[in-house]
Amino acid sequence: MSPLAASLLKVAACLGLMLANGVVMIWMLRKVLGHLHLRYGPLEAGPSGIFQTTMDVLKLLTKEDVTPNAADRALFYVAPLAVFVPSLAAYAALPFAPELRAVRLDAGLLYTFAALSLVPIGILMAGWASANKWSLIGGMRAAAQQIAYEVPLLLSVLPIVMLVGSADLGRIVEAQSGVWAGFLPRWFIFDPLLLPTFVVFAVAALIETNQTPFDMSEAESELVAGWATEYSAMKFGLLFLSEFSNQFIISALAVTLFFGGWLLPWVPESVSVALAPVTFLLKTYVGIFMLMWIRGTYPRVRIDTLMQLGWKRLIPISLALVVVMGVVIKALPALARVVG
Amino acid sequence: MSDPRYEIYEAGLIGEGMHTPPVLPAGLRRAPGGVDGLRTEHLVVNMGPQHPSTHGVLRMIVELDGEEVVTAEASIGYLHRGIEKVAEHRRYDALGTLMDRGDYVAGIMGELAAALATEQLLEVEVPPKANWLRSLTSELNRIASHLVWFGTFGLDTGAMGQFLYAMRDREALLDILEAISGQRMMFNYVRPGGVVRDLPPGIDAKIREFVDTFENVYLPEHDALLGGNEIFQSRVKGIGVITREQALAFGLTGPNLRASGVKYDVRVDRPYAAYPELDFEVPVGEAGDAWDRYLVRMEEMRQAARMIRQCIDGMPEGPHMAKVPKLIKPPAGEVYAAVESARGETGVHLVSDGSEHPYRFRYRGPSLFALQALEEILPGHLLADVVMIIGSTDVMMGEIDR
Amino acid sequence: MLRAADVERLLAGVDSAEVAEERLGVVARVGRAAVADALAALRDAGFESLVDLLGIDTGEHVEVTYHLRSYASGQDLFVKTALPYDGELESVWQVYPSALMPERETAELFGLRLSEHPNPKRLLTTDGVPPLLRKDVPVRTPEEFTR
Repeated sequence: MSPLAASLLKVAACLGLMLANGVVMIWMLRKVLGHLHLRYGPLEAGPSGIFQTTMDVLKLLTKEDVTPNAADRALFYVAPLAVFVPSLAAYAALPFAPELRAVRLDAGLLYTFAALSLVPIGILMAGWASANKWSLIGGMRAAAQQIAYEVPLLLSVLPIVMLVGSADLGRIVEAQSGVWAGFLPRWFIFDPLLLPTFVVFAVAALIETNQTPFDMSEAESELVAGWATEYSAMKFGLLFLSEFSNQFIISALAVTLFFGGWLLPWVPESVSVALAPVTFLLKTYVGIFMLMWIRGTYPRVRIDTLMQLGWKRLIPISLALVVVMGVVIKALPALARVVG
Repeated sequence: MSDPRYEIYEAGLIGEGMHTPPVLPAGLRRAPGGVDGLRTEHLVVNMGPQHPSTHGVLRMIVELDGEEVVTAEASIGYLHRGIEKVAEHRRYDALGTLMDRGDYVAGIMGELAAALATEQLLEVEVPPKANWLRSLTSELNRIASHLVWFGTFGLDTGAMGQFLYAMRDREALLDILEAISGQRMMFNYVRPGGVVRDLPPGIDAKIREFVDTFENVYLPEHDALLGGNEIFQSRVKGIGVITREQALAFGLTGPNLRASGVKYDVRVDRPYAAYPELDFEVPVGEAGDAWDRYLVRMEEMRQAARMIRQCIDGMPEGPHMAKVPKLIKPPAGEVYAAVESARGETGVHLVSDGSEHPYRFRYRGPSLFALQALEEILPGHLLADVVMIIGSTDVMMGEIDR
Repeated sequence: MLRAADVERLLAGVDSAEVAEERLGVVARVGRAAVADALAALRDAGFESLVDLLGIDTGEHVEVTYHLRSYASGQDLFVKTALPYDGELESVWQVYPSALMPERETAELFGLRLSEHPNPKRLLTTDGVPPLLRKDVPVRTPEEFTR
């Protein structure tokens, strides 16, 4: 197979996964929120309404695509793509199993964050091009949020990279194999040094994916629908899809970095490897469920509180954690050598 | 200023009052806003009438400096049905139906205000049972109304969790009110001279069961879902402060006034129905911020539950309707009657000329006054706080536009 | 209990003030030029809140009622004044800010002109709607209206 064909096939596979995820997650969101709110969610289309999202996609495809007269047409058309493409690209480096991923990148972690950090540029484009004041405020909020939270998000994963000695997502997972004290999986979440890191990561990740309680740029009760107000039909579908895809990616990253990725503890390695993709997806969906749980219960914080949290708390904390990790893995062994 | 985007400023489309905030009397000061040095532009946004958080058809014209509100102007009238004019062509016993459509979430109390005014004109004595039934249904309706406020107030903060829990309880209340009056929202239950029907058999047990569950399970649950949330508290504490002086100057009444520290409750200070015989407390706030308004309303629900139990226990026997002529023709005169509705003092100013139709019917809704206080309170707050503050004052467009 | 004599004393400095005890409560009738003075005097005397402001079309003139309240003593007081049709309603918002919106409403529904108001726009209805609460404006059915 020619390299081009192979690449195209990989992109198609990622796209297929993304679409399938979108369909499943939207249905899941409705069900989870429904049951959290004393109602049932979709029931009519198929058993437990599992075809509801499919029907909605069909509906979106056949709806009229409205472009506001005052919109900046070129930007207005490009913006959904600028949101969608990075979100798709972020799938490339995710390790679903030891050898199952689109590309093996030495800087896979960095690559995934780089792809995700392109999303707010698309949001800003959408907000500006819509010629709608609510969209503009939403886009501006997304940009401000982006600057404030990209830094702690990246810093928060730095201790892991330092510990593992690699930013390759596969090697990070492999470093978590085995158990401590006979029963506790050697996942980084159980490492007392990395637990605070996870807290910083979780908060920054919620903000990065525009999740409640930090859904500033959408903020339904304040900004109508924020930056997506003027989008309709399949353009809206693309925006919606990439939003869910980002949730999947951030959840998959959390699983890879802190919850042992595809690894299944307490079973022989052959079983673990055989079940790897299933394990990975299951863990990721547990993470997504947590995101939805938070979404269904929490109020939204205010934008100024959010910015203060980012600049005044998370950045210093994550910097301090990097220093602590550096001392533990470099300075202490050096000291031990000198003393010993 | 040749850029077409500025046309709206040049054409004066936004109105004069927007850019020159009104001068206020001594003692009232506008919160400072604006940018130093740098020349920036303000963004004028229309919040409503089709905005998710303006509770019906309120339209706030908000001028923003970044995210900060510089001026806010309420534009109303989208629900104007001319109730006051229509009333001049209705008979006295039909006034209640109009009041129902004013404050449509707390209909019983509106009906009661109209009935009290008519009774004052007629000088009829209402039988004790009718008074107790009026208090009972008023308090049931008060909880239902506060629950709607509670659910939507949470939605304003972005929390979805509590809304349908509040609706679940309201549903039970509406079932009870339906069993009593035959209607779920437009009750038409309180009429001049009494109430239209006695309690249906077996409803006591149902009400008792609801009140027990509400006090012991539902209300703590609501408090935990929303009020106990730290993010929610950080959103409401110190936000939208209405001082005592401002509250009095802007004619606020009800929970909004009490949250600002004025202990005035029509039920206590100008008692009507069976309230003199009921034992209840009037919660009063201190700071006058959104959090105090939240606490006052939550406590009012607790007190209302207490009163409902007392009403069921102490319900006297006897007729539920006084002898009132079929065609009410009160002597000429002018009266004012007020009740403590869920939002404040709902008053009816009634002028009779001796005919079967009121000569002038004035519906004094508390929300109108709360709304004009908002124009004063909002500047200096962030855009996100605007929806919170509107939500915390519990304005009801039906009675603002009438 | 608030007595007419007390209010008369409060309004001693105001021209042409007549105070009477009516069914409604204590009612002070003042000339339209003296409204602002009378209200200012009453506010300083403890009537700190304007509860309501309404107009009544009596057939001869528009009667504007200011419903005042003192929370300290729990007393209500009604101040009334008469305005000619199409006359001028002078804003009292400097004394009672709560008059801002009711004044706009009264002016538009009784066809009065609003003076010294910071925002003298219509409140409830759109331009071209007749002063609805005047007795000479009939109630029409939708059919009559379209004809």
